[in-house]
Amino acid sequence: MSKAKAQQPAVIHKVIMVGSGGVGKSALTLQFMYDEFIEDYEPTKADSYRKKVVLDGEEVQIDILDTAGQEDYAAIRDNYFRSGEGFLCVFSIKEQESFQATQDFREQILRVKNDENIPFLLVGNMADLAEQRQVSEDEALKRAQEWKVNYVETSAKTRANVDKVFYDLMREIRSRKMEASRQSNGKQKKKRDTKKMKCVVL
Amino acid sequence: MAPRYPPPLVTGVSPKEGPPGTRITIRGENFGNDPRDLIGLKICGMDCHLSAEWKSSSKIIARTGPGRGMGDVIPITRYGGKGSCTVGFRGYFLHIGPLQEYAVWVDESQTVQSNLDRGRPATAMAAKEEEDPLGILDEGDKPKLREEELLEMFPEASGNMSLENFSPGWYLLEHHRNASFSDLKAGLSYMKRKASTRSEGPITFVRSNLTTILDCLDSLTAMYEKYSEEDIRGDCMNSYAVLLMQAKSCADGLFQEVLGRKDKADSTRNALSVIQKFRFLFHLPLNIQRNIQKGDYNMVINDYEKAKSLFAETEIKIFRKVYREVERRIAGFRNMLHKRLKDTHNTLDEQKKLIRYLVSLEYKGDPAWECLDNQQNWLVELLDDCKDDHIEEEKNGMQSDHQTSTPGGPQWKPVNRVNKSPIKSGIKRESSFSSLSSSDQQAVWRFRTPQKVLFIEDITEIMLQNFPDFWRLGQSYFTREKSDKGVKIDTSKHSKMKQMMTEVVSLFSNYVRAAFLPESLEGMPEAEREKFGIWPKSSKQEHISGNSLPSCVRSIRNCANFLSSLDTHGDSMIVLKDLAFDMRTNCMFTLLKQAISDVKCLHTKETWVVETDDQSGGTTQLPALFENIVNEAIQHLHEVVVMNKPSEPEIFSQRPIQKEATVLCSQLLQAFSICMEQLVFSPPLQKKETKQVKVVIGQEVELEQHGDPIPSLDKRLIIMLSNCRHTLEVVVPRIIENLTKHGYVEMEKALKAAQDTYGALDQRLFSSYIEQKSDPILGAMEPNLYRGGFSWHTWQGQNQGVRNYLKEIIMSLIEVHSEVFSISPKFVMRVMQKITEAVCEELCRLVQCVTDFNAGGAIQARLELEALHITVRIYSSNHVEACFKEAFDVIPELSEEGKLMVAGLLEQFKARMRIQLWCFQSEDEPVPLKMATNDDSNC
Repeated sequence: MSKAKAQQPAVIHKVIMVGSGGVGKSALTLQFMYDEFIEDYEPTKADSYRKKVVLDGEEVQIDILDTAGQEDYAAIRDNYFRSGEGFLCVFSIKEQESFQATQDFREQILRVKNDENIPFLLVGNMADLAEQRQVSEDEALKRAQEWKVNYVETSAKTRANVDKVFYDLMREIRSRKMEASRQSNGKQKKKRDTKKMKCVVL
Repeated sequence: MAPRYPPPLVTGVSPKEGPPGTRITIRGENFGNDPRDLIGLKICGMDCHLSAEWKSSSKIIARTGPGRGMGDVIPITRYGGKGSCTVGFRGYFLHIGPLQEYAVWVDESQTVQSNLDRGRPATAMAAKEEEDPLGILDEGDKPKLREEELLEMFPEASGNMSLENFSPGWYLLEHHRNASFSDLKAGLSYMKRKASTRSEGPITFVRSNLTTILDCLDSLTAMYEKYSEEDIRGDCMNSYAVLLMQAKSCADGLFQEVLGRKDKADSTRNALSVIQKFRFLFHLPLNIQRNIQKGDYNMVINDYEKAKSLFAETEIKIFRKVYREVERRIAGFRNMLHKRLKDTHNTLDEQKKLIRYLVSLEYKGDPAWECLDNQQNWLVELLDDCKDDHIEEEKNGMQSDHQTSTPGGPQWKPVNRVNKSPIKSGIKRESSFSSLSSSDQQAVWRFRTPQKVLFIEDITEIMLQNFPDFWRLGQSYFTREKSDKGVKIDTSKHSKMKQMMTEVVSLFSNYVRAAFLPESLEGMPEAEREKFGIWPKSSKQEHISGNSLPSCVRSIRNCANFLSSLDTHGDSMIVLKDLAFDMRTNCMFTLLKQAISDVKCLHTKETWVVETDDQSGGTTQLPALFENIVNEAIQHLHEVVVMNKPSEPEIFSQRPIQKEATVLCSQLLQAFSICMEQLVFSPPLQKKETKQVKVVIGQEVELEQHGDPIPSLDKRLIIMLSNCRHTLEVVVPRIIENLTKHGYVEMEKALKAAQDTYGALDQRLFSSYIEQKSDPILGAMEPNLYRGGFSWHTWQGQNQGVRNYLKEIIMSLIEVHSEVFSISPKFVMRVMQKITEAVCEELCRLVQCVTDFNAGGAIQARLELEALHITVRIYSSNHVEACFKEAFDVIPELSEEGKLMVAGLLEQFKARMRIQLWCFQSEDEPVPLKMATNDDSNC
């Protein structure tokens, strides 16, 4: 799917945006990538973004795969999910159905990745439209706890918590990768890594 | 130098994969500041610059090209150069089934057509193959195994899922050779899920394979029919029939719903269209009104046509009522259009449109013909008005001209109107030139554009603007009728049309003739003649129109040419061509005549200032002026006479015109001689001349005029003699050459006549000059000779030398010499010869009359004859020599002593008169350098 670029030797963290159609996956991505907020809605098929970021002093690359929310494309999701290292599962706080759909996405991801501890963030978008809220924070937090993941409310419009969700996810991915390499290279620095994981704060 | 920008970098593509033609949004940085900065875009190695749309420095929208597989997205900018990308695009080719909906156009010529050829099942197969059963996308770069290798590994097996000998091993090796185990595992679970979630019932299956099943059904039916034909009976056949029936009813059941829906939709649509039709009718009156107001006449006509076809025959009361209303409005519309057609200010296109509307509205009668008729009347009216207006103006102008000499009537157009073209301003210059000879009032007249010129400009403009439209309308009238098969061509109208055109054209021509060539209309009956306008006659008027004639001729010719380009074979155009030709001829004659009269007036312009140059000797400005006038006339006539437009006859092709032109030319040439003669023998009064110069040239010349009054007769004679010679030798040939160059014929005759005239004048002037000069000398000779009681036979003063009378004669000769020399050195020889001849003859005659000489007298006579002889030696001729010889013979033979004395005295005479004698030396002889020491030659 993605070719490592010779001129970009840094570590690549592959993030996949999932969630129902119209919840703001692309909006979050574009806000994060280009600091722009797209007002018009145009359903995504599958978009790919990649840029250099500095994660805790280390230069890494983030590769974002922005997927289609629409059910029409459900069939091709499996393929995409397979390459993902971390997932941002987005729903809209003003749309209950989108919140319910997160359950399916979660299941599909777990099925494809076959890994309960895959880096995963539950994201309630459109926090700026709190007056139209249909999904309460408690409800969402409850589900996050169930899944043992973190829950963040964001606004792609105001950029609230946008950087946070991406950076948090990247940190999780990084620690997972380190853990994996430690498992293969011996078991040093496990403590530090677990500590790192705790950095992830709501 | 533009600053170097960092190269562009692509960090995002949306979407990241797609078939060729996918609209792709490319995001990133440094895409330039301007759409022009983007100078290239490559997606998967394919140039997509043409479809690229630069949105901002971070966004480009483009369509992908036919690149296949994973590839880079590389923008190239003007200042940043070739860019790079962190993301890529994957291009793939879709096989779109013939029943599949798809957003972009797909080239089906390969996929569908070939599939149809191979048979329908292949389509289903292709569709199936499209989807990978494992849900794993092939991303391997390694080459796939070849079929032979696979065949080797799995003999008698196949990778085709639809075949019985399908081998999963083959399939996996063929398609997912590079997939990891986990991927394959995931693929397996995907396939399982897919299988479990597949809820498609048999109906879905039938739908997706409809064509195949229909084929089967068809062939089964065919088989059954075949069996029935062959009359095969049995249980098997019965059940076969039952099965077929079942299949049919099943199929009917399947599609009943859909078909029923379609029926309903159709009936709803029908009902809607009926309602639409009725609504159209009920709204029609209002719509017609509205569209008429909007000017959308086509719409009105269309609507009306539609309504007519739908409801004209209707029986239903309410419809008939509405339809009547429609008819009423259309009738009103028709009338309005008709009225507008009568309005003559429409353009040709508008008129055509109106006519077309009327025709399509089934207007009774012939709107086009009415329009033509109307146009013709209007055109005639316009021409008539134009003529009347201008004649009125002219009359007013003349009246006020009689009352006051200052112009200022508001109806007079400003002078600069004439200055529109260079030639016209040329006319003006010329006219100011000739105003030297005219009175103040006339000069004022000349500065105004003559009414007739304005008239001709206006009337030709009217023709040029309106006649072509009229003609075209007529043409389209007939072509339209021709194209309409139903209407036969009305030939009577054809000729009527021609007649109408001819009428207009001949009216135009006659108006112009009335203004410029009134004599050509003489033959007409009084009443008819009056119709074309009688222009007030005035001698001045004639003169003026001469100046602007070329421009008038130009207008007429342009008009004639333009109009005849419309209809080259029409009779009416002959009228115009004749008019143009007559105008040209008239113009030529008028201008030539005018030049003649101008030349005749030249004598008033003589300033008597002699200018000497080496070639022509001394002349005044008169010959130059003469040449100017002639050349200017020729110049003006150049366009009229020489330049023939195509289809115009040569102006000299007619013999009488040619003759008259030649006569006028030679008159023109000769006119100058009259002028010169007049100058010599009856010069204009001093006073008048001063006044005229003041009018035109101003103060400066006036002063000069005072210091240089008209010279005496002899002076005038010699000046004119010089002018005459110059004219004959230089000016006339030049003019003739110019004339010939401009196409005037038989110029040799004119040249001959001119030469004769000027030769005669020369002779006349010369002889009267000689007479003028020699008379006083000869008259004084005898009295002076015998002054103081001189007598040849009693003369004793041998030592006195040459007597004073002879010296006086010599002085007189010198005087003549100097006078002639000052004007024209050329004439010196000619004049001096004549005069010396006369003087010598006289002296010899006097000597011969003496009957008795004493010795002193003989010496004296010989001395004096000898002295004269030496003096005039260079002017002597045979005749003179003969005279001297006779005279010497009369004188008795001298003694030796006497001869010596004569010789001595002669030397003494030569020495004393040295300076005077120089005058009689030809230029070739060396002039004595010694200055005279004592000059005792006081006369």
